[in-house]
Amino acid sequence: MRNKNHIERHYTKWGYFFIIPFVVVFLAFNFWPLASTLYYAFCDLKHAGNTHPDFLPSIGKPLFKNFTEVLKAKYFHSALKNSFFFFLASTIPEWLLAFWLAAMMTDRRMRIKGRFIWKTAFFFPKLIAGTALAGSLLIQFISIVANGTGYSVAAFAMNGFGITADDMKFFTSVQFIIIVVSIFMHFGITFIYAVAGITGIPVETFEAAEIDGATRTSIFFRITLPCIKPMLFFITVVSVVDGIGMYDLPSYFGSFDTTRSNLTLMMYMQNQAFQGSYAYDKASAISLIILGIYIILAVIIYFILLRDKDEIQLKKLIRQERRELKKGI
Amino acid sequence: MSTNELTLTAEKKRTIALKITTYVVSILLAMLILSPFILMLYQTFGEEIKMVNGAGDNRYLEIKPRDHIITWKEFKGLFSEGDFIGFKNSMIVTCISTFLNIYFSAITAYAITAYEWKLRAAFEKFIIVAMMVPATVSTIGFVQMCYKYHLINNLIMLIIPALATPMTVFFMRMYLKATFSRDIVESARIDGAGEFRIFNQIILPLMKPAIATQTIFCFVASWSNEWVPRIILIEGESRTLPIMGSYQGSQLLMAIPPLILYLFLSKYIVEGIALGSVKA
Repeated sequence: MRNKNHIERHYTKWGYFFIIPFVVVFLAFNFWPLASTLYYAFCDLKHAGNTHPDFLPSIGKPLFKNFTEVLKAKYFHSALKNSFFFFLASTIPEWLLAFWLAAMMTDRRMRIKGRFIWKTAFFFPKLIAGTALAGSLLIQFISIVANGTGYSVAAFAMNGFGITADDMKFFTSVQFIIIVVSIFMHFGITFIYAVAGITGIPVETFEAAEIDGATRTSIFFRITLPCIKPMLFFITVVSVVDGIGMYDLPSYFGSFDTTRSNLTLMMYMQNQAFQGSYAYDKASAISLIILGIYIILAVIIYFILLRDKDEIQLKKLIRQERRELKKGI
Repeated sequence: MSTNELTLTAEKKRTIALKITTYVVSILLAMLILSPFILMLYQTFGEEIKMVNGAGDNRYLEIKPRDHIITWKEFKGLFSEGDFIGFKNSMIVTCISTFLNIYFSAITAYAITAYEWKLRAAFEKFIIVAMMVPATVSTIGFVQMCYKYHLINNLIMLIIPALATPMTVFFMRMYLKATFSRDIVESARIDGAGEFRIFNQIILPLMKPAIATQTIFCFVASWSNEWVPRIILIEGESRTLPIMGSYQGSQLLMAIPPLILYLFLSKYIVEGIALGSVKA
């Protein structure tokens, strides 16, 4: 046994060796920029191409000047509101649809055919050009459809039912189109990952549940979802990162106007940093606020999905028993 | 006995109803998703855009359906020179960065799975944390770095950072957790294979499904990346396809490489993770 341990130890150095490239590149291109962004947020750094930050207290200004300026701005409030609105309004329907379809398609008793074709079709918008061109195409298409249905429903509603044209306004607005298109763009990814996760569960588990007479809903909530927890975590993170950081789709509607209906946090950040006044310092402050939002969401996701409650309870029990043993001695 | 039969048929009825609903929903969704692309193909091949001389010096664009099948010359006319420069740049960036991303993510995931080094658990936690902080947050620092070291317009700044992508590492690790068996590695060691060779010749082929899945996602993400290129690629010569090129030509060029890649890799991604857990 000692010998085997010795051999294992001989190989462990390869573990360190193999992660060197990752760690080096991560430190240089992810960590260092993040750290400098943190520093710039407390500096005065304006004008295009300027690389000489002045630390705010050293030029006699309050330390949190950038943050207070950002938090006061009307644009920031709209951006924050829009980002969360877009994220929630697109993720919730997308998830319901994607998980429902994934559960149906992987159901053993139904034997849905052509899963490959469905997967390809759903993934198509992302596949064909990512968000770049497929997005603009979908926007064109959906705005035509939305306008058409909007008008016909409005005309229909004029006859009574108490619906006015104003109620239908949302369905022809820029916001609605952004939401629908982002559902279309993102739906395929969630679907593919969900199917991959569900097919990874051993068939015996489902068989046992069926024999015990479990209904489809209870199988889904009691077996499928708990079994794909790691995958669910992955899907959630992808959704959050893409949702809060949404940038491409809303920016097709041009720079935001006075109504600020398509302004997101990333767009606001980009607008501050690389247009007009080139206020890198303010943009850094916005970046840090976005980072804060990510961290809060990440903690929530972690506690809901990844933390193993049973394991923690087990550890607690073991600790208790040990304490009692010590007392006994 | 009869009640048993009754419940059986009720169950069957429900299954069939669900089956039909699923098919209908899928077909409707697929049609809704695919129709804009058919429209795009029609616009590219079936419609003609012409400059028309109007009254006085006014000129305007006229769009009308073609009366004949598109000719080679017209087809060539869809593309501008910028499209091909952008295509070349995009190809270089995307291919190299995807390769780096996949290979080094796989090797990092393998290092976490196969060796019992001291900081292993901490490193895995670190990957999970890093995964939730996307690189877009540190854009300002990144761009300032580019200014400082005169790397604006340099494609390297789009390629090298892809090497460290925590998201891919997490996915690979998830897959390896389910498939990895120490016995294979140990028997290879007894046969005298070096650690590096074991990874390249034994582990990498085993990870095919995970690699295929992630290759497609990374390729598409890098291929259509607009955020960083728009900021750091200012000169026309160094621009990538998403941020330059004519309207119709670049649409076609954008669509082709991911489609070809998908055709090659799709047979592996289908049941990506499934292969893993069955063995374990």
